[in-house]
Order: sequence, then C-alpha cells, then structure tokens
Amino acid sequence: MEYTGEQLWAGQLGHAFVIVGFATAILSMLLYFIGYSKKDESYRKLARGAYWIHALSMIGMVGTLFMMLAGNMFEYHYIFQHSSSSLPAKYIFSAFWEGQEGSTLLWLFWQAILGLILMYSSNRWEYSVMGFFTSAQVFLLTMVLGFYVGDMHIGSSPFTILLREHPNFALLPFVQSSNYLDTLDGSGLNPLLQNYWMTIHPPTLFLGFASTLVPFAYALAGLLERDYRGWFKQALPWTFFSIMILGTGILMGGAWAYESLSFGGFWAWDPVENASLVPWLTLVGGGHLLLIQKNKGTSLFSAYFLIVLTYILILYSTFLTKSGVLGDSSVHAFTDLGLSGQLVFIFGSYAVLGFGMLAWRYKDLPKNKKEDGLWTREFWMFITALVLLLSAFQITFSTSIPVWNKLFGTEMAPPADPNAHYNGYQLPFAVIIGLIVGFTQFLNYKRTDLKTFFSQTLRALIASLVLTIVIGLIIQFDQPLLLLMLFSSLYAVLGNADYLLMALKRNIPIGSSIAHIGFGMVLLGSLISQGGAETISQNSSRYNLEELDDGYKNNENILLMLEDTLTMGDYRVTYTGKESEGIYVYYNVAYLDSNNQEQFTLSPFVQLNNRMGNVAEPSTKHYWNKDVFTFIKYAELEDREEDLDPFKDAVEHDIRIGDTIYASNAIIILDSIAGVMDLGKKQEYGLNPEDLLVRADIRMYDFDTQLHHVSPHFAAQGTQVKLFPAENKKVGVKLEMYKIDPTSETIGLRLYEYKYKTKEFIIMQAMVFPHINILWIGAILMIIGSVWAIYNRLQTKRKES
Amino acid sequence: MKKLHIVAIIAIAVAIGAMLSTLSDSSTYADFAEAFNSPDSEYHVVGKLNKEKPSDYKPEVDPNLFSFYMVDNNGVEKRVILHKSKPQDFERSEQIVLIGKAKGDEFHARDILMKCPSKYNDGSNADFRTEDEMRELRAKEQAEATM
Repeated sequence: MEYTGEQLWAGQLGHAFVIVGFATAILSMLLYFIGYSKKDESYRKLARGAYWIHALSMIGMVGTLFMMLAGNMFEYHYIFQHSSSSLPAKYIFSAFWEGQEGSTLLWLFWQAILGLILMYSSNRWEYSVMGFFTSAQVFLLTMVLGFYVGDMHIGSSPFTILLREHPNFALLPFVQSSNYLDTLDGSGLNPLLQNYWMTIHPPTLFLGFASTLVPFAYALAGLLERDYRGWFKQALPWTFFSIMILGTGILMGGAWAYESLSFGGFWAWDPVENASLVPWLTLVGGGHLLLIQKNKGTSLFSAYFLIVLTYILILYSTFLTKSGVLGDSSVHAFTDLGLSGQLVFIFGSYAVLGFGMLAWRYKDLPKNKKEDGLWTREFWMFITALVLLLSAFQITFSTSIPVWNKLFGTEMAPPADPNAHYNGYQLPFAVIIGLIVGFTQFLNYKRTDLKTFFSQTLRALIASLVLTIVIGLIIQFDQPLLLLMLFSSLYAVLGNADYLLMALKRNIPIGSSIAHIGFGMVLLGSLISQGGAETISQNSSRYNLEELDDGYKNNENILLMLEDTLTMGDYRVTYTGKESEGIYVYYNVAYLDSNNQEQFTLSPFVQLNNRMGNVAEPSTKHYWNKDVFTFIKYAELEDREEDLDPFKDAVEHDIRIGDTIYASNAIIILDSIAGVMDLGKKQEYGLNPEDLLVRADIRMYDFDTQLHHVSPHFAAQGTQVKLFPAENKKVGVKLEMYKIDPTSETIGLRLYEYKYKTKEFIIMQAMVFPHINILWIGAILMIIGSVWAIYNRLQTKRKES
Repeated sequence: MKKLHIVAIIAIAVAIGAMLSTLSDSSTYADFAEAFNSPDSEYHVVGKLNKEKPSDYKPEVDPNLFSFYMVDNNGVEKRVILHKSKPQDFERSEQIVLIGKAKGDEFHARDILMKCPSKYNDGSNADFRTEDEMRELRAKEQAEATM
C-alpha cells in the first residue's frame, strides 16, 4: 500500500547521519592509534578531518530528531511515542530526551562537542587521548544503530518508521487507510515530565556523564604512553569541571523532585538517583588524589584507580537505568528495549580495558616509599578519598540488589525503609568527611607545624561547638549521630570560612574554599531541613481518631472538609474548593494566622495522567527560613453532580421557644420569635409597611460544638404567605418557618438537610522544612567555587607552559 | 604496623559491614502463606487486588485506614489493612506490592507500591482525532508560532 504524506526523507537523513558518524568515529580512532604507534605526524590531519565529520554528523543527527519532533512527524515511532500535536513547543526538549534513544543522542552530542575541545587542547597527547576518546564514542553509537544481525538487534534507532518497523502497529486498523497521517496524533509526552526542570536537568546531567570520559581517556593515555606524570596536569581541570557539572546535574534532579514530586524531600535514595551519585563520589575522590599527585607526587595508583572506576561506574549506571533490570524498584528507570546484553558488553569491555591496563602497568608505576605523615594534607585527602570510595561501595552494593537477584537467583527485595538503610551508613561517612573538610586546608603538604595548625583551627572548632549546642537545642535534635553531623557540617563551613579570610589576606586562590563552604552548607542544609522537618498535618478534625493498632499508626494526614477551618501547626487552614485546568485539578487551601487573617493560599494539585496513573504534585510556600510543603493524599477528582435540589425531603417539626430538635450533625434550638417592625427591613424583603414579618432566632451547635445562628423569616401579605428560609452551608442545613400558631405559641419548622452526608473533602499532608535555603545556597556556592578554582588552575597552567 | 595498614583494615571491615547490613535490611518477596507463618517479620507480598470484593475507606472516620482484599501470586486471598490513606487510582492498579506483617487473619501493610498499566510499547494508545480536530490543533499551533 502507498501511504500519502509520509516524509520518509527525514528518517533516511537521520539514519545517514548515524552511519556516517559511526564510520568516521571508527576511522578517526584507527587513524589516531596508527598515528600514535607509527609516530607519524601526517596522520593528525586525517584523524582530525574524520573527527570533524563525525562531530558534524552528531550535530546533524540531533538536529534531525529535533526537526522531526517540531514537525510532528508521527510516522516515526519515536515522535509518535514521545510527542503529540498539542504538546507546547517549550516541551520539545523534554520530549527529545524522554526516551532511551533520545537521551543516548544527547550524550553522544555532548561527547562529540567535548571531543572537539579536547582535540585542540590536548597538544602532544592528542593521538592516544583522542584514540581512547573516540573508542567510547564508537561503543556508545552502537546503542542507536538499530541493526539486525539475525535475530539479535544491535542498538535501537530513533529514526524507525511506525508502520514498517514496529510489528505491534502493523495490525492496527489505521494501517488500512493510505492517508492515516491526517488523523494520527502522537501519544504525547508523559505529563510528569512537562516541567521546566526536565528541560535543563537531563542536558546538565548528560554533559556531566560525557565529561567524565576526558579524565578517563587521559588516564588510559598516560598508562599507554608510560608517562605517569604528564597526564594528570591535563586531566586536572577537566576532572573538576566534570565534578562541577555532574554535581549540578544531580542537585537539579533533587530540586526537580522537591518541586514536583510528592515524596516529601529532595533525595529518596532511588536507584536511579544513586546511580548518578556514585560516580560523582568516586570522581570527587579521584580529583583530590590528582591534587596530591600534582603537589606531592604520591597517590598515583589510587588516583588512577578512582578516575578509571568513575567512568566504569558511569557505564554501570547506564546499564542499571537502561536495561530494565531495576524494573519495579525505581520511578525513573527506562523501559527495557531488549538491549541489556549490549549494555553489559559495553560496561564489561571498558571494565576490562580500564582495569586491565592498570594491572598491566602496575609494576611500572612509580611507588611512594616513604609513608605520609599523620599531620599532612595528603594523608587526610587520601582518607577522604577512601571514605568516598566506601560510601560509593555501600550505595552501589545496595542499589544492585536486583542485579544480585539476577546473578544468584535470589529473591531479595530492596530495603523496606531506604532512608534508614542508606542514612545508617552515609551519615557517619558524611560526619567524617565534614570534619576532614573543615581542617585539611590548614594542613600543608609534606609537613605542618602543629602549633600553628591547632591555633588556626581552634577558633572554628569552638565556634562550631557553641553553634551545635544552640542549634541542637532549638531544633531539638536528640540523636547523638545527628548532633555529630550538625557539628561536622558546621565545622566544614566555619573552618573553610576562616581559611577564606586568611587566604584573602595572603592573596591565595579562594575558589576551593568557597566550594568547600558550599559543600558544608549542602550537608548542613540537608541535615537541618530533613532532620528538623515536621509533619504539621495531624488530624484535628472533629473525628477523633482512635488508636487502632500498634506502631504502624502514621497519623500524618489532615482531613479538610470544604469550607471547614482547622488548626494545623501554626496556621488555621480552610479548604476553599477545587478548580480544574486541563489535566490539572487544583485544590485551594487558604492559610490563616491565629487572628484569622489570610496569609497565603497553597494549591497542591493532582495531575490526571493516564500513562502513569494520576500524580499528586506539591505546592510549597517559601519563606527565607522555612518551606511549608503540602500535597494531596486523597481527593475527589470529578465535580459532584450539580444537583438542582441538594436537599433531602424536609422533616416538619412543631416547636416552642426553648425546644430542641436534632439534625444528623447538629443540635438546633429555637431561641425567640419576634415581629419585625423596621420598615427598612420590610422593604428589603419586598414587603409593604402594613405587611406582617416575623423572625425566628435559632441557634445550632455542630459536632465541633461551634455555635451558628440562623434566622428564617415568615411574612403575611394580606392573605398571601411568603416564606424566607435560612440556610447554613457549613452545617448543611436549611430551616424554613412555614407556619405560626399564636394560640399555642408554636411555630412549624421544616428542616432540610443536604443529601450528601459528607461534604467534599481532601486529605492532605503538610510538612515544614526549616532552612532548606542553606542547601540551595550551598549548591550555588559549590558551583561558583569550582568554576573559580578551575579558572585559577587554567591560568597557572598557562603561566607554567 | 603502618598507618595505612590500620586504615585498610578499618576500610575492609566497614565494607563487609555494609554488605552484611544490606543483606539484613533487605526484606524478601514472599507469599501470604510465608508471611502468616512468621507474623513477626516484615515481608514484601506481591499480588493483585480482588475487584469483586468491596474495599473499605471511610476517611471521615480515619483517613489513614483503608482495607481491601488481595490475592497473592499463589491464589491465596487475605484481607489487607493498609495504615495509610487510600492511594489515588487504586482501582486501576495491575499489581500490588505490600510491605508489612501478618496479624491474626489480616495482613497489616505499612506501605504499598502499585504498578499501573503501562501504555508504553504497544499500539493500543494510538490516539485518533477527527480531521476537524486536527485542523483546529494545527491552526492553533500556527497561531502560537506566529505570536
């Protein structure tokens, strides 16, 4: 059958870019390695030419996919799956990297760009470094090749056509119509990812991933060339660039989770989060070991080990997130494309290559004969790297439970309480690192005068101790470990602040001090905001919750009836109603202070997401010193049917003054009956001055024993009777005085009650995170400090050469 | 003994400790039979919601209490008491993982994980619009683009 309107050239163009890019990557790699072994300068030009074509192909490949997304070419499977014609243009980026193929393209794109910079900055290292660099590009490109060798497919291409290459679609009815494209719409971007963080978080993270390749390539080049001293000077700025970008990417993921997911925090020890954190930890360790190597010439093997390990862990984390092995255990993992074998192969190849080369040259590596002194900067930096490695090991081992299950046929489930499990180890590690970060800058390489050292660090030590006691009392930390952590992170901040002041006086570079202060603040901010977090949404509704059971009880939700006002923490809150907007249902909750003055309104919402199930997203009020974080636990999504008559049939009562009648949720007492003489009032009711108007004053108590007053009126206009009932929405009652009997002093009262027994309600959880801004400010300082330090290093490098 | 040796020994001890604690913190996937045999330990039980039997949620009485019937993978059915609010979209769940302990005749779950039907990777979510709708959408898009 001939289909009309398909733009097949776009896919062919994309395929062409992939194939040209793949061929030129191989070519460039071969030319570089041959040029290296022959020591022949003439290969450089050819290899560079091949790399340029490769890099341009990568740019063309990415551009083609963007063009296809922008042009809504739903004849392509990837476009059909990740976009739709109603998708706002600003989410095209999110749609681009929503799927596995697109995110691999993004990674390839960054590596291609970094390769161009590396090519022109690596000078005499170009042959070997670019050789290893392009090899990684070759391996990664196989992930999007989409070739078939017999039954086995190599990679999955984003340029495949929906109807021809995806058997699931071949049987659908629309295949029969040649103009199916006129009516086909894409299935759209997962609404959860329609968020601006999803536009910037993945590119940053993938730039971080891509940048770890450069130190790795330098490390292997150093091993290959048996030049163990030159490579790290080149690799050092790249390593810290990588630490900065990858760290930023990870924190952005945390910020996204905090802002738009409702697990109540910015870090949940989710396997995918862990998989990106672990290489960062080892890279930080490796980067600091490189500093020792540069300044003192020791720790070479351990620096090599951590740098090589980092890239292998990047590949391992790719395997974890893209192979489907995490399956149920993570919210972020991609679906399985049947490529796990290929992912294991890539990861395995580089593990063998990296560790193999390290083992091959191990005997050749210059060894450090003399032991480091205890009070030297290098000793404590080494200890830090070791603690980071242990921390990475603990996280990896626990995160890999699904892998162990596959390998050993076990049926272990991930820890039921991940926070308790991971924090149990990571908190002590963080305590140690915080302390070391606090004092190590004051130590010198090789030898330190202990007297000066202690007098220099004493100030920060005492200040931290005092602050720990004060803050600990304010936020009522009672666990010794949390207090230790508080002390350690305060010391990391103050120790480095102290050093910063000294550095400013002596004109020493201050980038690293700023970055370390930032790191201390990230620790401090996480500790105070999470450790001091308070769930304020206790149930304070009229329904007294009985203790039903044992420690399972988690009394952390508040039930808010429409228009009821309840106390929650320092606030009084009122649920004022819901509004729908597209796929979002907003629940407006007003916050009042103790004088019932409205302070602000939060609108936590539910996203109607037919792909992943409905998602509750939080709404947060930011203060400088705390966040009030709320989200919906349970709510009615649909509007209740508009009922013309919301009342049940009336019940009639004959009562006298002082009598009590009972409604299903209120007690009603008739206080008085009085004739109304006021002419103005009569006019208000549309009566003439001579007409009779009678008012009944009635009081009602609801189950909160709150008092309400209502006054139904009765009027007689000549022989005609007019009734003016009075309604109280909060109690859900309408009262109508329909007759007056002066002789027996009784009135007839009709009691109407709402049909719905319960009013509309929401169940909400609310938490207060104190001082979470310390965390975000710390993150920004870390970035600024790292950029500064890298800049300084490049300056000195330029002066040296 | 050198300092580095002491450090290495401590590091290895910590690494072994980390591995052991992972093994002890990890619970096991189990069926109801196993969970009811040892009521004191916590299990992950996988199963499906029995949609025939009523689930019970009275938020006005206790918003943190929800009960329903689940059939585990061996076909054993138990009443489940979930000590949490009823999850959104509960009825649509395809598979449930409960985390909790057996108690008497009921399974008391402290937490629940749900897997909702995924519409990825099959053709069933092909979304058709009428030609008029498509025209409208395209017009709107053009208007946005020219803005």
